[in-house]
This record gives sequence, C-alpha cells and structure tokens, in this order.
Amino acid sequence: MKTKFWAALATTTALAMPALAQDAIRIGVLTPLSGTYAGIGQQVRWGLDLAAAEINAAGGVLGRPITLIYEDSEANPATAVPRAERLFDVENVDFLTGTVSSGVTLAVGQVAERAGRLMATTVSFADSITGTSCSPNVFRVNARAGQQSVALASWLAAERPDARVFYLGPDYEMGRSTVAAFRSNAERVGATSVGETFAPLDSADYSQYFGALRSARPDVLYTSVAGNDTVRLFTQMEDFGVRSNMTILGASGTVTAQNIGAIGGAAEGFVTGVGYSSLIDTPEHAAFLAAFRAQSGGADPDLYGADSYGVLFAFQAAAQEAGSLETDALREGFRDLSWQTPQGIKTIRGSDHQAMQQMYVVRVEDGAFHIVGQVSAEDAIGDDLCERF
Amino acid sequence: MRDRLDISLRANHVLFAILFMAALVFGVMASLTGERFYLRLATEALILSGLALSIDILLGFTGLLSLGQALYFGVGAYVSALVLVGTPNFWLAMAAAIGASLLAGIIGGLIANRVRGVYFALITFGMAQIAAKIVYNTRALGASDGMIGIPVIEIPLGLVTLSAGNPFQFFLVVLGVITLIYAGMSYVLGTPFGRVMIALKANEKRVPYLGYSTWAPRMVAYVLAATIAGTVGGLYPMLRGFVSPELMFFSASGDALIMAIVGGTGTLVGAICGAILLVMFKSVVGSWTEHHLIIVGAMFMAAMLFMQRGLIGLVKPSIERRLLRREAERAAGGTK
Amino acid sequence: MPDVLDYLQFILAPQMLNGLALGISVILVALGLTIIFGLLDVINMSHGEFYAVGAFAALALSALGLNYWLLVALVPILLLPLGVLVERYLIRRVYDGADRHVSTLLLTFGLALVIEDILKILFGPNTHRPASPLPGATEILGVFIPTYRLALITIGLVVIAMVALVVYRTRLGAMVRAASFDRNMAASLGVRVGWVYSGAYAFGIALAGLAGVLLAPIYSVFPTMGHDFILLAFTVVIVGGMGSIWGAVVAGILLTQVQAISALIISPVWGDAIVFGVMVLVLMFRPQGIFGRIGHA
Repeated sequence: MKTKFWAALATTTALAMPALAQDAIRIGVLTPLSGTYAGIGQQVRWGLDLAAAEINAAGGVLGRPITLIYEDSEANPATAVPRAERLFDVENVDFLTGTVSSGVTLAVGQVAERAGRLMATTVSFADSITGTSCSPNVFRVNARAGQQSVALASWLAAERPDARVFYLGPDYEMGRSTVAAFRSNAERVGATSVGETFAPLDSADYSQYFGALRSARPDVLYTSVAGNDTVRLFTQMEDFGVRSNMTILGASGTVTAQNIGAIGGAAEGFVTGVGYSSLIDTPEHAAFLAAFRAQSGGADPDLYGADSYGVLFAFQAAAQEAGSLETDALREGFRDLSWQTPQGIKTIRGSDHQAMQQMYVVRVEDGAFHIVGQVSAEDAIGDDLCERF
Repeated sequence: MRDRLDISLRANHVLFAILFMAALVFGVMASLTGERFYLRLATEALILSGLALSIDILLGFTGLLSLGQALYFGVGAYVSALVLVGTPNFWLAMAAAIGASLLAGIIGGLIANRVRGVYFALITFGMAQIAAKIVYNTRALGASDGMIGIPVIEIPLGLVTLSAGNPFQFFLVVLGVITLIYAGMSYVLGTPFGRVMIALKANEKRVPYLGYSTWAPRMVAYVLAATIAGTVGGLYPMLRGFVSPELMFFSASGDALIMAIVGGTGTLVGAICGAILLVMFKSVVGSWTEHHLIIVGAMFMAAMLFMQRGLIGLVKPSIERRLLRREAERAAGGTK
Repeated sequence: MPDVLDYLQFILAPQMLNGLALGISVILVALGLTIIFGLLDVINMSHGEFYAVGAFAALALSALGLNYWLLVALVPILLLPLGVLVERYLIRRVYDGADRHVSTLLLTFGLALVIEDILKILFGPNTHRPASPLPGATEILGVFIPTYRLALITIGLVVIAMVALVVYRTRLGAMVRAASFDRNMAASLGVRVGWVYSGAYAFGIALAGLAGVLLAPIYSVFPTMGHDFILLAFTVVIVGGMGSIWGAVVAGILLTQVQAISALIISPVWGDAIVFGVMVLVLMFRPQGIFGRIGHA
C-alpha cells in the first residue's frame, strides 16, 4: 500500500516536473491532418508516435526524451510555410519531419535552411528534392520515384518484354516526376511508350481518360495516382471493361494497406516497386508489425508509416554520432549514416542526402501483397544529380 | 467648406494614423523581444491587406465585386520571383511586378468591363481560374510545386539599405509600401475623377447625365486595383522565399474578400484591419483546430447580416461626428 | 476504313457517352442553380454544399438500412425545409439591401464555408464510397458501359422533363414566373410572393440534394465534393442563360461534349481552362447566355 502511494507520487512528480519538459528534444511534425492527404498523415502520425514512445522508453536521445509537436500542413505550401516558421521560431523545435506533398517539402526545406535547422521527409516522392533542388538541410529517408522505378522496370524487363506502356499520373509534380522516372527506366529496358496523360488530384471521374487510353492500345498501364483516386480509377476501369487484358503497374503509394480493401477485385495483378512491404520476413519487422498494430488499433503499416517510424531512429543514431544537436554536427552525423529499420539497413548517401535501401517488387494476388522480386540498394539508387553540396 | 466625402476620408486618415502607430509600436516591441515569427506573420498580414484593399477599391467605392483579385497578386508574385531568381534587385523586381500587373489589369479590365454586376463578378472569377490553371500546367514556372530558391535581398533606400532577411526591417518596408498605397488611393479618391468613381456606386445610371463616361472611371478603378494587388504580390516572394499556384486560387481571392468585408468596405482602412485580424486569427486558431473555416464563415455571415459596415463601422461614425463638430467650431471661429 | 470505324465505335462513341453521363450529372446540379437565379436573382454560392449535404444525408440514411431508391425520393423532401429556413432567415435579410446580387452572393459564400466545415466535423475529412445500387456493366455495340450510368442518364432525363413541366406548364410554375417577372404586379394579382420565393429556393436546394443522392455512387462522397461540379455547373448556367432551363440542358450537353472530345484530342489537363474560356467568351459577347432569362422571353 505504502509503496503504491510512493510510486504514484513519483509518477505524478515526474509528469509535472518542468525540468524534464525543458530537457526534452522537440521535434516538429508538419503533416496533413485534414484534406486529401489526411490518410497519409494518419500513417505518419502512428509511425512517429510509436517510434517516439519506444525511444523514450529506452532512455531517449542523448539521455533526453523526445516530444512531438504536430501542425496541420493542409498540403498547401502557402499555409505550411508560416506554420514551419512557427515550429522553428516559437516552438523552438530541434528537427522537423512529416511533410507529405513534394511542393510543401521543397518550400519547408528552404525555411529549415534559413532557420539553420535540419528536416527530413518520410513521404515525398519527387526526385528533385534530393536531386536538382537539393538542400544541405534536407534529408529523405524514403525511396524516391527513381528508386521505385528501377525496381519496377526490372520486373517489367523480365515478365513483359516489349511492353506497350501507357502512363496516367495525378496532375501535379509528384505525378509528373514519377511518370518521367518510370518512363525513362521502362524505355531503358526496351518498352515502348504509347501515350501519357495527367488527371487532376481528386478526379471524380476517370472515364473521360479512357478514350485516350483505349486509342493508344497499351498492354501495360503505369499509374501513380494514390489514395481514393486509385479506388475510383481501378473500379471505373473495371466497370468500363478497360481493365481486362491489361497489366497495371504503379507507384509505391498507389495501392496500399489503406485502400486495397476498397478497391477489391480490381486490384488483382497490380505490381509496384516499393521500399516497404508488410510481408518482410525478419524478426525486427515482426516486432514492428505487432507494435504498430497495437498503436493504430489494428491497422497495418504502409510505406508511409514504416518510413516515418524509421526516421526517428535515424535522428537518434545521427545525434549519438554527433554527440550534440548542433546543426553542422548533426548534419555530419546524418551523412553516410547506416541505421537499422524494420525494412532492413538503410544508408543515407552523403552526396545528395538520399536514403539507399533494398527495394521490393510487390504484386497483388488473391487480395494480398506478395513479394515477387528484389533489387539491391546500390542498383536502385541511381545517379547523384545534386550540385549544391 | 468640406463635404461628407471629405469628412469620411479624413476619418479614414485618423484611423489609418492610429493603425500606423500601433503597427510601429508592435514592430519595435516584437523586434526588441525577438519575436521573429509574429513579426513575419504581421508582415504577411500587411501584404495581404494590400490585396484586400484592392478589392475594397472595387467593391467599396465603385461597387464592382471581383472574385478573382488573386490573379493580379499572383502575377506580381510570380514576376517578382522570376526577376529575383535572375537578378536579386529589389527595385527591378518591384518595377517588373508593377508593370506586369498594370498590363494584366488593362487586359483584364478590357474583358471584364464589358459587363456589369453579377456578370462582372463571374467573369473576374473565370479569368482567375484560367490564369491559375495556366501557371499550374507550366513547367517553366515550377508547375504545381511552385518556385523555391528566391534569394534574400537587400533593399537600397538611398541613405540606408534594409534587408528582406531582417524581420523588423522588412516589416518597415512593407508598412511603408502600404502607407504609400493608402495615401495614393486617398488622393485619387479625393480628386474630381475619384468622385466620379464613387458616384458609380451610388447610382451608375445617373452618372452619364452629369456628362461623365462610366466606362473610363470603372476601367481606371479596375487597373488601379490590379496594380495594387500586383505591387503587394511582388513583396510576397521576398518575405516567404517561394511562390506557388495556390496564391492564385479562388480560396486566396475569397480570403481577401472576407478580409475586406469583415473589416468594412468603402473605407480602405477596414480592409487593412480585416487582413490583420484574419491572418492572426487563422494562425492562432489554426494551430489548435482544423475547423477554423466554420468560425471564419460564421463571422463573415454575421458581418453581412448585422454589420454591413464591418468592424470599422463600429468606430468610424463617432470619429466622423467629432471631425464634423471641430469643423463646425472652426467655421464658427472663422466668422468671428 | 475499318480503322476509322473502329475508332468511332471503341473510342469516340464511349467517350461521348461518358460525356453524356457527365453532362446529365452537371445539368442536375445546374437546374437548381438556374432556377434560383432566374426566380430570385440570387447567385447561390452554397449550391455545391447543398449537393454535398444531399449525398451525405443519403450516406447516413443508407447506413440505417434504408433502400437506395427510397432515398432518391426522400432526401430532396428532407432538404425542402432547410431551403425554406435559409431563404427566410438569411437571404431575405439582405435581399432588399443596396446591391442584391453582391450581398446574396457573399452571404451564400459564407454559408458554403460553414456547411463544408459542419460536414467535416460530422463525417470526418475522408472519402466515403457507397456501393453502387446497380453494379455491373451492360454491353452496347461491343462496348461495356456501367449499368448505373445508363440508369443515371435515364433518371436524369426524367427529372429534367418533370422540372420543365412544373415550371413551364403548371399553374404553380406560372405564378412563380409571374413573381420573377414583376414582383409587384404578381403580388397585386394575389400571388403570395414571399412563399413563392421561399418555395423556389427550397425547390432549387432539393434539386441539388437529389443530384447529390444520384451522383454519390459514381463520384464518392466527401466534404469538399461540392467544389467539383459547382464550377462547371456555374459555367453551364451562364452559357445557357441564367434562369433558362432549356439553356442549362443545351449548354450542359454541349460543354461536357467539348470537354470529353478535347480530353481526347488535346489533353485532359486543359479541360477546365477550356470550359472557363468558353464562359469568359460568352460573358464578354452574350452575357445573357444562349437562351436568355426565364420569364423574360
């Protein structure tokens, strides 16, 4: 009885102790909590909350616990930029992550650079973020469009040589960048491109694009639409009978654990190149999967959840190597860092701040994902196009 | 002898002077306490107040509702960004932004001024949508991602050189620009030509009987408003370091409209107050709930239903009365 | 030659049929808009949000186990009192102010923001996908068309015909047209103008709700769904002539065909810009639209 009382008192004082709060490392999370990307923001949140809880339980980073401070990015750079400034200037965060749309990542990366702090994206695909528009203060721990495309093209070369490919992307930079990346990789392995088109984000009706699709007579369709757009595209293709006799390939985020149920039978046979699969068969991954399900109330992680989970461990490893959170030291800590994630070992390439990782080719069979191929990190990474540092 | 319009304009000056002093005090306090974020947020509010003010010139004085004013803000912002990326020169960027929005305003004015009333509102809306779509689809302008990498510039002002990177200095620059815009517009509205513009709102059908063309003043008001929107648009990339197509979307025009109406139309100062209020409100409420839209919408409807003269309408009449009384006293003193 | 036939049969014909389904959808949304403008002189900026309210009402009621076809009739009836309330307590308050067009437009714009956020609070930001009441596809000339779209085209044509009948051929419609043509004259002839206005607004809102129910199975349901169609619907109303029902029908079909065919020939990316371009051109050279206004011959 007496011990229980003291234990309770100890917990209350620990919670109320202001010294601890001052000691905490503050990490800003600027992610979409509303709007089209709210579903992705949810995965980011589950992944980060889980990682922070695990790190804090094991003694934190440099002996200090992590506090996550969330802000809604609304996937709009004009809204996200002032909020990023608020995180840096008012909340005094030591590090920032969570950005989803690549336009937001690019604009917020510049804010981080001017504030002299570091950030990492765990979601954005656009190659330019660690390519032509790279920044010394921005890192990316997920696979970019190019890495996904190399993996997918290797499958295409083996399984559908001489394919006639049609490309359908969402009409914004991520869509254009993924289509361009896959197009060049597919043509490299001998495929013929027969047409491409872009549909606005949140298109209600994809049937108006089927005319162009039909007239090009492709046998393979590559698409990088995501979330609910995929649901509409795939089910409408099935309804209109354009789905038959066509293999659909896609970007990592096209079909995920989040929307595969809603797509139903129309997802059958879909193939993608991805940096994460919930089928990875390692003890680390099994532990992660169980913990994630407990955190999310039963939902499986997708690539966004897994990559976001991993970023805090990269931060921990980099901070420990640097011995401080001072920006220049931390940047050196991140460069060429190799760290353990549920997806295996990831390494950040020092020359462009892009994470290198094992890539998987995944195919939907009987309503579930199956790993049908792998590409090593070195083969998938592609050229370094970053010239700023 | 001074008429009612004169008194009304002078009441605006009093309010603007109060606002100006308050802004200065805020700026000094914020820079002394090192509040970078709030200083930069206030700078953004002042920039957007220029956009709201340009809507007020059309709606509050000439009675024309523009649903696409963000078009000219966007033109100014993109042109300024393009210039700054090539040559980081403040005056060149501002001259280009003003020139481009003036030109765009003339083209847009020739199109929009063919029609009146609700058709005018819809045509301005349509033009802004087309322009936003063109920017969105143009790779050279960064398409949907927008453009980043706009350098932090120095602003040479003759004797001193200020930096856009210093929050307090850039706040002063923007405050100066807004003051110039306010002073310029007040002057124009006070001239005989400006009075014809205002007469359009009161009764457009009677203006021709006075021997004035209605087309010319409407056109001038439209081009002036477009140029003001473009001028403050040119300041935006200097503050934020990027531009994106969202700046031209309807939501940007709609927000500016809300600012102008909540603040109070037909006063110039009201639009500025409305902008400051809305930006601060969105930042504060936006960081603890996603549902700020419902409050903004309800506030806007309340302004439409219960205070058609906006927030400024709460204080302006008493200032006008005071000015009238002083005027009367002076007149009485003069006859002695 | 077989290539040309092939193109017509498998590419152009299905594309145009899709365009027709979209056209009927847009006309359903535009009908209420054009009636409200024609009779009340009000640009109803919250029309898209009432369309969303209809779709969400159907979603919530079908979760209670109600039959879909029952909802098609029920949801518009449920929206009628909402329309009366909005007209009586909001629109009428600013209706007789200095500039009716501007103040009612702005008021309904504010209302749109509020409704959208209420839907977000009640149903969350995510997309809901109701099951199709008529799953499967029908084969026509070797091309598969989803059965529900064919049903939508049929139902839509019936709804349009009924609305036209009510407005142009009934005593009620005559009263309404009289009230819009000359308010004071109608009042002196014993028409209760206040009720005519409330009724016309509620009728327009009910039509928006009906469109929401009918289109939900195709276009999914989410709080901002009102933005999707409303721009196109506005364009249709303007091009057809504000207040003209036949104008809305003709413009709706024409514009969606332009969009469908330009998607095939140019690129779908420019579809919106082309439609708005048409709108600006019509406003510049024939602002009264193709057919002019209702009751103004």
